[in-house]
Order: sequence, then C-alpha cells, then structure tokens
Amino acid sequence: MTGAATDAGAPARPVPYPDRDSAPWWAALARHELVLQRCDDCGAWRWPARVLCGRCGSLRWQWTPLSGRGTLASWIVNHHAFLPGFESPYAVVLVRLDEQDDLLLPGSFVGALEGLRTGMAVRAVFDDVRGADEPITLLAWERAPDGAAPNEGEDARGR
Amino acid sequence: MSGGSGLRDAAAIAGVGYTEYSKNSGVSTLALALRAISAALDDAGLTIADVDGVACHKVGDSVQAAVVAQALGIRDLHFYLDQFGGGSASHSIVGAAAMAVATGVADCVVCWRAINARSEFRMGGTGRPPPDVLEFQYQVPYGLATPPQQFALMARAYMDRYGLVAEDFGRIAINQRANAVLNERAMMRTPLTMDDYLSSRWIVEPLRLFDCCLETDVGIAVVVTTPERARDLRQVPVTISGAVWGSGHTLISNHRGDLTMSPAVDTSRRLFALAGVGPDDIDVAELYDAFTPLVLLQIEDYGFCPKGEVAAFVADGNIALGERLPVNTHGGHLSEGYAHGLNHLAEAVSQLRGTAGPRQVEGAEVALSTGQPGYVAGNTSALVLRRAS
Repeated sequence: MTGAATDAGAPARPVPYPDRDSAPWWAALARHELVLQRCDDCGAWRWPARVLCGRCGSLRWQWTPLSGRGTLASWIVNHHAFLPGFESPYAVVLVRLDEQDDLLLPGSFVGALEGLRTGMAVRAVFDDVRGADEPITLLAWERAPDGAAPNEGEDARGR
Repeated sequence: MSGGSGLRDAAAIAGVGYTEYSKNSGVSTLALALRAISAALDDAGLTIADVDGVACHKVGDSVQAAVVAQALGIRDLHFYLDQFGGGSASHSIVGAAAMAVATGVADCVVCWRAINARSEFRMGGTGRPPPDVLEFQYQVPYGLATPPQQFALMARAYMDRYGLVAEDFGRIAINQRANAVLNERAMMRTPLTMDDYLSSRWIVEPLRLFDCCLETDVGIAVVVTTPERARDLRQVPVTISGAVWGSGHTLISNHRGDLTMSPAVDTSRRLFALAGVGPDDIDVAELYDAFTPLVLLQIEDYGFCPKGEVAAFVADGNIALGERLPVNTHGGHLSEGYAHGLNHLAEAVSQLRGTAGPRQVEGAEVALSTGQPGYVAGNTSALVLRRAS
C-alpha cells in the first residue's frame, strides 16, 4: 500500500514540503538514514526539528542515528480516501521510539492491518516515493520479529 | 491579584447572538459575523455605537477582525484580536476580551466565530490548502491530514489504555442527541439509539460517523462588558469567573508523550482556583466535542471523576439532563451544529440566565465551557461562568 503512489497512472500522493529546520531530516531519509536531533549538552532527543533544546535551552545539537525501533503508541485505519493517492482502507501509525518515551513519529504501516495493536513492537523501513522533482523517502513501519536485529535500511517496497 | 484572581467576575457576558445553522449559508463570513454581532447587541440592548473592541478566532477561513470593526463603523477601536486557531482557541478570545474589559482597555468587546464550515472551508478538506502549520509536513505525506484522523489517534490510545469500548463513545452521541431533540436551533433532532450508533459507518477506526461533529455554516457572537454596565442592560448578566489558557499536544512533538492525558489536567486546576470553585460546584458543563472521545476525556481531566472511571460515570447516567452533571445540553457540535466552540459558551450563558426552555438545568448558577482540550493545535482554553447575583 505504501508504494501505491508509484504505480503508473495513480494520482500523485502529497509530498513533504521541508522547511529550513527540517531539510536535513528529509535529506537523511532520502539517504535511508534515520536520524533525530540530540542535544549536545543534556543528551535529550527532540522532534520535530528545531534549533533549541526544550529541556535545557542549549542551541547545540547533532543529527544522531536512531535504532529504528519503537512501539505503536496509536494506530488508525482510514475508511475514507482523505487525500489523493491513497486507497482506503489504509493505516497510519504513531510510533513511540525506543530511544525516548516522548518521541512520537507518524508513518505508514507495511503488513496486514488485522495485526495492528497498541504497544506492538515495530521497526522502521524506508519507503521511496516519486516526488515532483526528485526522489522522496518516507518513513514506514513494520512489525518487528521477536528478537530481530535492528533493521539495516531495507526498502519498504522490496518485500 | 496573585494567580490572576483580579479577573474573577470582573467582566460579564451581556449579549449572545446566532445566525441560523445551515449546510449552505449562501453568504460571506463577513455577513455571518455582522448578523451574529447585530443579534448579540440586540439581545444585550446595545447598539454598534457602544462597541469599542473586536475579537475573533479562525484558521485562515474567515473575515479579519479589522474588517468587521470597520464594517461596524468603529472609528476609535480600543481592542482587537485575530486569534489564529480553531476550537482550542475558541474560549481564549472571550478570556482576552474579559481581560481587556477588566483592565479598562476597552468597555464593550464583541467576540465571534463566523464559519462556512460546510459550504466553503471544510476542515482539512477541499476548498483550501492545509493550514499553515509546520508540523503538517510530517503528517500529510502519510495521508494524515484531517481532524477525524488526528483525533482517532488520540481515541485509539485512550481506548486501549483504559479499556473503553464503542458503546462508551456511543453513549456520548446518544446523550447529546437527546438534548438536541429539546433544542429548536439544533440541526439533528431525531433520537439516536445505540443500534443506530453502532451501525453507522466507519470514518476512520475507531471513529464512526456518529462520533464526528457536524460540519455547518454559522456565526455566533457574544458581547463582553463590565459587570456594572451589564447590570443595567436587558439580560441577566453572566460573569466570567475564570479564564484559562493552556498548552497542548501537537500529536507528534515531544514533551507530552501520553496521548491519554490532556493539558486540561493542568489547566483545570488553574481555572477552578481562579474562579474560586471546584468540579462539585459546576451545575452544567459544555465540553468541546468535535469527536465523542473528547467528552469522555474532559470529564476525567476536569476532575468530575477519577482517571479511568469515566465509562462507569457515563453509563450510570450522570451526564443526562436532571442528573449530577448535565453535559452539552444543546446537543453540542455532534447534534446542534459545529460553531468551533462558541456555541458551547452561548449555551452556557442561556443555562445561567435560565432561558434554556425544555432543556433548562434547574437552578444552574455555575457553568464550565471548554475549548478543544489541547490536541493537534498545541493549545487550549476554557471559561467558568456564573449567574450574577
């Protein structure tokens, strides 16, 4: 389902419109790297992109690799095509990253919708979609096999 | 003045005005605003010559306050506010008007919301680009763009955390429809059964059609002035005992990792302390209800029952007319119509005046009226109101 936008003749799915804070996040995703800002001074992760740490006030940070692992904080099944390029039913998940309890990232879900449940362990996969001018990569999530190693950047549509 | 108590009962709502609810007003949001303001001034016994302040909220879908001020013929405007925001900001404009009046900045402020939310600008829908919110870039590419989806994410987390089931949501929709049956203004006046609720189609799991508010065209206005002046006017004055502004979730930003706990947990304490009341003093509660689970959540987060116990509180009948805490006596956004928050305030005023007719809460003296409790937009607002003695 996450690859629907790349099918010939399918209506174009909306693409991200990065701002000056978020451009590095989208550029990293396009390289199949999952990173977030981490404060140099207090070590707190933050999301979405911004220049200041809301925990300690520091203006110094590094884009830092994540494990790509998390659990479902919530999930929904859309029974209405809310936007062009999506065929219902489709899921959207909200993933709580293993790195920090308050990091919640939305994304699409790869796999059977019947299997969705809150608290389920998931891992990140990269979903390359066609953008207006250049390739764009979105974040998708799949059920994490029990005891599996962190995902090493496989393509969502390759499975 | 500590804790903002200088605001307590220092401003009053002297007038309330509505246009009719419809699916297509056929007129501009400027026309809706002016008709609602005119009706509110008539209700108060005031004229446009008395108005020296204007305040509205909107999300790029309605006329600017300055345009309305000019249309009202105000040459010497003392106060204005164009608050960006939807239901979460709805009550903040009236709180701000109360501060302006209480401090002498202005003497008579009209506050309104004017929307063609069905015929022109559907929320997150057709007719306009997405709201100017930076965080939308992280949601829209996944097909996540509209309020029912955003609140379904909150609803699923809330259900799973506390074991809520569809019938718990359904009881909110049914209660509000029963109230709307008694409200001539309401769009939806056919009684709703649990079977009707459960058989309504999915919009976005776990929300069904009857979990979602209506989309309507309407203008609603209130007149805020000093209690002294309000006493000499046409209606029983209703004072603003407390006003609160609060923070919120933006769904995907950090610092608020628990989706099942709204910022109202914090703001309600501040609001009740400012007003000098507690949950037990509230005679009627008009709780923001774009979607049914928000009502359940607010009953808990405003302290009417402990966290995790709202399902039993509602199933025991506590929120019906004549019971412990009548909730959304007008039918709310689910059944009266969607005015983005100010219809809750208008209904609270009617209840405190004692003019709510067949749905009147007997002896109502103190009311709570709330804006959206802090999801998606990252802020919230609410008011406690009191019938002037």
